[in-house]
Amino acid sequence: MSEPRIPSVSRRGFLSGAAGLGGLALLAACGGSGGSSAGGKGTITHWDKWTTQQSWVKKEMERFQKATGIQVNRTLQASGNLEDLLNLAARGDNLPDVFMVARDRLDEHIKQGHLLPLNKYATADWQKTFPAHSFVNGVNAADGKIYSAPFTGFGPELQLYVNNKVFKDAGLVDSGGQVLLPKTWDEVTRAAEQITRKGNGSVHGIGFGNSAFPIINWWIKPFLAGSGNPVSVPPSVPDGLDLRTGKFTRYTDRTYTDFLTLFLEWKNKGYIMPNSLSVDDEIARQQFARGKFGMTVGGVWNQPGWTELGFTDFSTVSMVTPDGQQKSSYYHGAGSVMLALSADSKRPDEAWEWFKWWHGKDAATRFVQDLKGDISIHPEANDPGKIDLAPFKQYVEAAKLVIPGPQPSLRNPATIHVVPDQAKPTFDDFCTGVYTGQIKDVPGGLRTLAEDLEGKFEDALKKAKDKGHKVSRDDYVFADWDLTKPYKWDIPQYLGA
Amino acid sequence: MSTTRLARTGGPRPAAAAGRGRSLWRTVRASGWSYAYLAPFVVLTAAFVVYPIFASLGYTFYDWDGIGEPSDFVGLANFKQVATDGYFWRALGNSALYTLVLVPVQLVLALVLALVLNNPRLRGSTFYRALYFLPAITSIAIVGIVLKLMLANFGDAVSKPFLKLGLTDEPLQFLGSPHLSMWTVIAIGIWNTLGYNMIYFLAGLQTIPKDQYEAAQIDGAGRFAQFVHVTIPGLRNVGLVIVFLAIVGSLQVFDLVMVLTGGGPFYSSDVITTYIYREAFGQVGTGVAVEPHIGLASAASFLFGLLLLVVTSGQMLAIRRLRARKEGK
Amino acid sequence: MTELKGARARRGLTHLVLLAIGFAYVYPFLWAVGSSLKTKIDFLDGGLGLLPSRPVWENYAQAWREASFGTYFVNTLVISVTTVAFTLLFTAMAGYALARHTFPGKKIILGVILATYLLPHGYTIVPIYDLINSLGLLNTLTSVILAQVGGGLVFGTFMFMAYFSTLPRELEEAARVDGAGFNTLFFRVMLPVSKPMMATLGLFTFISSWNNFFLPLVFTLGRPELRTVGVGLYAFTNQTTTDWTLLCAGAVISLAPIVVVFVVAQRYIVEAIAGAVKA
Repeated sequence: MSEPRIPSVSRRGFLSGAAGLGGLALLAACGGSGGSSAGGKGTITHWDKWTTQQSWVKKEMERFQKATGIQVNRTLQASGNLEDLLNLAARGDNLPDVFMVARDRLDEHIKQGHLLPLNKYATADWQKTFPAHSFVNGVNAADGKIYSAPFTGFGPELQLYVNNKVFKDAGLVDSGGQVLLPKTWDEVTRAAEQITRKGNGSVHGIGFGNSAFPIINWWIKPFLAGSGNPVSVPPSVPDGLDLRTGKFTRYTDRTYTDFLTLFLEWKNKGYIMPNSLSVDDEIARQQFARGKFGMTVGGVWNQPGWTELGFTDFSTVSMVTPDGQQKSSYYHGAGSVMLALSADSKRPDEAWEWFKWWHGKDAATRFVQDLKGDISIHPEANDPGKIDLAPFKQYVEAAKLVIPGPQPSLRNPATIHVVPDQAKPTFDDFCTGVYTGQIKDVPGGLRTLAEDLEGKFEDALKKAKDKGHKVSRDDYVFADWDLTKPYKWDIPQYLGA
Repeated sequence: MSTTRLARTGGPRPAAAAGRGRSLWRTVRASGWSYAYLAPFVVLTAAFVVYPIFASLGYTFYDWDGIGEPSDFVGLANFKQVATDGYFWRALGNSALYTLVLVPVQLVLALVLALVLNNPRLRGSTFYRALYFLPAITSIAIVGIVLKLMLANFGDAVSKPFLKLGLTDEPLQFLGSPHLSMWTVIAIGIWNTLGYNMIYFLAGLQTIPKDQYEAAQIDGAGRFAQFVHVTIPGLRNVGLVIVFLAIVGSLQVFDLVMVLTGGGPFYSSDVITTYIYREAFGQVGTGVAVEPHIGLASAASFLFGLLLLVVTSGQMLAIRRLRARKEGK
Repeated sequence: MTELKGARARRGLTHLVLLAIGFAYVYPFLWAVGSSLKTKIDFLDGGLGLLPSRPVWENYAQAWREASFGTYFVNTLVISVTTVAFTLLFTAMAGYALARHTFPGKKIILGVILATYLLPHGYTIVPIYDLINSLGLLNTLTSVILAQVGGGLVFGTFMFMAYFSTLPRELEEAARVDGAGFNTLFFRVMLPVSKPMMATLGLFTFISSWNNFFLPLVFTLGRPELRTVGVGLYAFTNQTTTDWTLLCAGAVISLAPIVVVFVVAQRYIVEAIAGAVKA
């Protein structure tokens, strides 16, 4: 409070969204591997922000050095702020040879000339080691020049996790003693009721940790993905927009009101762990592992934290439908980004070797099967038969629920310049407000939200047009989209091939 | 006794009439050493504080995401957007509440503590000082993690008896209830930085010459009378500084709120700095990348700074007038 | 006799109250120290308990390694000590000139001090970064020191100014009669009596410099081996996981020097009582 002002620059000056450290929002970074910097022959510098995955990174660096003689000098920038650090580094000509890029910053980096076009290296043959539609203008390429490559595949981003022991203790098993995994809203309600009743105040049916950042909205994904409302859409689709009509009807669809009402009912009936709003996600995850509640929603990143502490007795459910019928699915877009090379790199050839290694099939196989990090873009790496951890296997198998969806930027790359502002309050905050009772009128609030989003979208569209980009609302209408079928993209399979 | 009187009246007014009658240039030349002494301060502050503030003032007129140089000139649109945003004023209200509650409570507690620990006959006062200063030196990040974990457990422990008696049907949610979150943050704020003000007061107490107390004792003043007639006036200067710093510091509280609640649940503990932060970078930790709005955030931050400037100038004017009235008596 | 007893009882009571409140006051800290010795499981199941079932000293060794504290400690010490030294010197000088002398332009400087203290510093990192870059100082410890000193001068000058203006005028006058000049007055008369302020401000500057992680981070982007303890602490957290026990151990390690500095500095504050009054 009354301390000297030295850190004030740091505190408020330049902050970006890191949730780490219990929601600590300061720019954070972490001790790197040390050693000398931009160094001798055959050494390249590399930045990434992977902590939980770093055992894989380190092993790959060793393997790479053995195979090629090139040493990778890695610095771990552990926070959500790698992007801001890259921006500063670029100002001081300090960009590392290789670094992780964020999808939504790529076009800005290209515009500023930070990135090396990879076409010299990224030959048609090399591209073909990836599945079709992996390199796309407006995603990891621009004007036919490739800047990055996909790494992870497309899994259902959030799952319902079930603590098997809690279910067994509550008698939620079939005649063969197998845990009855809930697949519909009703089954979740019944399971929550039974666990809470048998738990006698110390075990609850449902739990989560909303304190560091809003998390109730996470529940929407697995609970609405199959509801017939296209909830899980490719990135770059404006929030709240239904691509079938180009109208902002996703939130006003009754599935949202129904689910939030159900969620409140769970709360009012006492099925939800009472301090779910006081603890943060990380603590809640540990409480889940210790059997304080039976069900929670989280991402695949939850799994390493649990297995590390010896908790493996859990299951994943990737889709919970309102009534047992799957009317829609999860949708993914084409291409994605991971590493990029600096335009100023003194050793572009060595940097490319590392890039190729990182994005290659062998490294990917070890990433999936040894680290169990995520699904890979390479289908060969994702063989469920070779995965020895049941819940992770369930996750990998659920990848079939994720199918191609329409993406405005594939039809018209200029749409990447349409960047609507966030709604206020965002849907994420709205959920918290509903849960605490600060928002009483759910359908009314959702209507206001949809109007707000529509207005922000119109503004963004106008702004892009004013700058001379040829975009229109029609770019966002895919009347031919059948929610139950993979959408066929009208783009070449490979770039410049 | 003469020392005392000099100490009081010789205060902040430096040799005043010295320069009268001479030309400005001669005064400047005569003050050469003063300028020399100020030079490092002026140069470094101009470079690292003033220039950056003016440079970032420029951002307020742009729609800028922080990459490269700003190019989208939008005039005063950012200011307009902030000024018409209900959430801005709501956050301002919370900042004001935080300050209005924290400052008086913390100052009284800090003064009491300083008075107790200033007693030279109290054994182990070094130990106590360290004890009460400890929260202030711990990094807020650690404080946040630890307190969050503790409050979640603590909430259950405290609530148990109430639950059994049926006084409440749910465990208390110190951080999770929209009615409690702001008060919890305030309480933790008081705890966290009390040590700083304790130190200021301790330093201030040492500037009061002992003979003033002795003189008061000779005059037959009791402890309370000594406190009122010697301690309080003796602390006036340092006290004003402490109050000023406490107010400014409280209005700008950031890290603590960020790590404890992030302004939530649903804006119930949103203060001005968390508002600015969210405007600039979006909701923390959602994993949804948001296009940063450096221009808008800078505008909010300057608008807030201007309000602060007005409030503080008012405060200083009031103090000056009060003093003038007192001296006029 | 009875009076003595009463005093003793009262003193005992004071101690009792101070200890009880103090215990509650630092409980979170004790809890963190306890947690730094727990296993992860122990930590999660232990609730509010202080003591680990079996202390895991290995946490400290591991935290030390993983946060690269070995290198970082030296960097941090160099940065913090230099920052404190320059901050104290410059702010004392400026505070002295402002509090004890008049000269044209003084009001302007005072106004700027007030304004910069109040104006939120906003997104100032880019201009500061550009400035350091154009001075050719990126990737040096000097840049960190320079920026930290530069950013802390307003506060320190304000404090020294307030302090010096409370000192009795005759302090200088006696020396002046003896023919002391500006420099002698400052170094021989004013500085020695400002020990309480130097200790206070030095302590605060040291704390914030020691805990700072942002400036050291961005000014050493190209040379991670120049990072500081504050940066190293973030080795235990990321977006989805925190290594609580190691973080607690790291926090305790990084706090230890500050506690030492506090104990030393605050003794000066006490000792300076006599100095302030007698001189």
